Amino acid sequence: MAIKTILCIEDDRFIGEMYVRSLKKAGYDVDWMVDGNDGLVAARNKPYDLILLDIMLPERRGSEILAALRGSGENLVPHTKIIVLTNFDQDEESRLAMEHNVDAYLIKADITPKKLLAIIDKLAQV
Amino acid sequence: MAIKPQKPPAMIRDYWPRFRKRAIGLVILMQVAATLAIGLALVLAGVTTTTIVFWITLIAVLAANVGINLLLFSQLLTPLKDLTSALTHVSGEPTIVTPPNPNARHFERDGFKPILQLIYEMAATEGKGRPSEPNQTEKQYADLSSALDNTAVGFIVLDTTGKIIYANDHAPVHTDNEGNAIIDLLSDDEFNLDAWLKECEDKSVHTEKTWQRVANKIPGEEGRKLYDIVGSYNKGSKAEVVLTLFERTDLYQPEDEDLDFIAFAAHELRGPITVIRGYLDVLGDELDGQLDESQVELMKRLVVSANRLSSYVNNILNASRYDRRHLKIHLREDSITEIYDSIADDMQLRATSQNRLLSVHFPDNLPSVAADGASISEVLSNLIDNAIKYSNEGGAVNVTGSVEGDYVKIAVEDHGIGMPGSVVSNLFHKFYRSHRSRETVAGTGIGLYITKAIVESHGGKIEVRSVEGQGSTFEFTLPIYSTVAEKLKANDNSNEEFINHREGGWIKNHAMYRG
Repeated sequence: MAIKTILCIEDDRFIGEMYVRSLKKAGYDVDWMVDGNDGLVAARNKPYDLILLDIMLPERRGSEILAALRGSGENLVPHTKIIVLTNFDQDEESRLAMEHNVDAYLIKADITPKKLLAIIDKLAQV
Repeated sequence: MAIKPQKPPAMIRDYWPRFRKRAIGLVILMQVAATLAIGLALVLAGVTTTTIVFWITLIAVLAANVGINLLLFSQLLTPLKDLTSALTHVSGEPTIVTPPNPNARHFERDGFKPILQLIYEMAATEGKGRPSEPNQTEKQYADLSSALDNTAVGFIVLDTTGKIIYANDHAPVHTDNEGNAIIDLLSDDEFNLDAWLKECEDKSVHTEKTWQRVANKIPGEEGRKLYDIVGSYNKGSKAEVVLTLFERTDLYQPEDEDLDFIAFAAHELRGPITVIRGYLDVLGDELDGQLDESQVELMKRLVVSANRLSSYVNNILNASRYDRRHLKIHLREDSITEIYDSIADDMQLRATSQNRLLSVHFPDNLPSVAADGASISEVLSNLIDNAIKYSNEGGAVNVTGSVEGDYVKIAVEDHGIGMPGSVVSNLFHKFYRSHRSRETVAGTGIGLYITKAIVESHGGKIEVRSVEGQGSTFEFTLPIYSTVAEKLKANDNSNEEFINHREGGWIKNHAMYRG
């Protein structure tokens, strides 16, 4: 599945800009939302190819957004890949629950924009 | 909720009628037998059955027998009847029989009075008065059960089929709609009751096992309690399995809150690290070709330092999780070469920026191991980082792999300052730093501690050989995947399922995506 449009839900300005800048430079069409509510509305309104989802977000946590999009057995975004990008060290149970519902679960501090692009490439080939 | 087994009621008042019926039956049977024997004897003696003598003798014998037996019956068994009816009375069982009066004349005469008095007195002082044998057990059971309900400890008793036959008030047990008692505890890699029961059944006669920090609910859920549990198994016993649960919520909960604090602190620390590493990555690309040699060197040092910082944060998080038994290792088939590849660039950069010669060689035919890739990459990174730190300018660091029995052995060898034996024995203790390293090399003493914890959680071992002034070799082992594959599949607690079911689209910080 080709990936062209990306929604980045990230409240940290530096980190958000860093990803958006690299993704745009690589030719992706990127929208960036800085809080959980706006992020969920955007994800519902436009069929993105990929969502980059932070967990610790104002208004609505990433786990809630994920539950709203892919919880309760119904997948509202069947054609969208989701990558959780977080620096938050969740407890085991919560992390496994999220991992189960997403295409990748990454610690931001362990990857760089270059690595993120490589992962998106890899996801696009699946 | 407490679950009590039903005991069939054995009534005292039923004893006497049953006994009397049996006794009378026996008397009649014996009389008939005796009369027949006498009749037979008369016939043999030549008295014919048609003579009147024959019948008179028989009837006389029968009448005498009945008289004697009735006399004996009333004389010998009346005390038993009185005793039973007195006991029935004091037991409180409903009965229409009047209890024997100890003041009756005949009791005074035959000396039965003190016996009756003793029974009534004992009943009065006992309060409820249920002094006969079966009710004593019932009372003891009730006493014991209420005593157990009043302890702060939970008890759960399972029978040979694994069914709960007793649970006191403090045991985390509930009853489902069908009336089955169910234990409310979360299973995980450590605490898995079914697996333990099966293992006991297969291998043990008598065994005990202790689990710590077993929770009844997930973190954040209301009413979460944490227990230390001792399980005792005695094959064939009526109470085959006894679980004793000590609630330790007060002890463990604050630590959980500490862990929350560390999780938030890590989140805060990782934010700036993400930005530094990210922009260095971006800048490195954008400035490619525009920097002179010394500026490139400075950039390298920035990248190495940011990467190190990231590793240290992970070490602290892992050590804190390990101390609180929250460190989870998910074993799956992985290759050492691939795990190393994920950190290879970072390690080479660290070595070259400090003028060390890092050479890594794993044989092509090295079998795959059962490992948690992300954790083992931290082990490799810690050991290589140490080797770089404690070796000399221009020194070589060699990383090699080999097979040893059921394990793959990885060795990280340096030719640096080495250590005396006294240091080696303390090396894996938390926060341990040798006197000299304190003076000469920066560090926290947490890296080797968590390294050992991770290796041992894999079922491997870590060892060190060192000669002062000549260098050190750290070796650790990991189980070869094929030797443990069956076991891993049997209690599949890895993420394998998650990974496969999304058609291979599932990725976490692992293998080629780190660094």
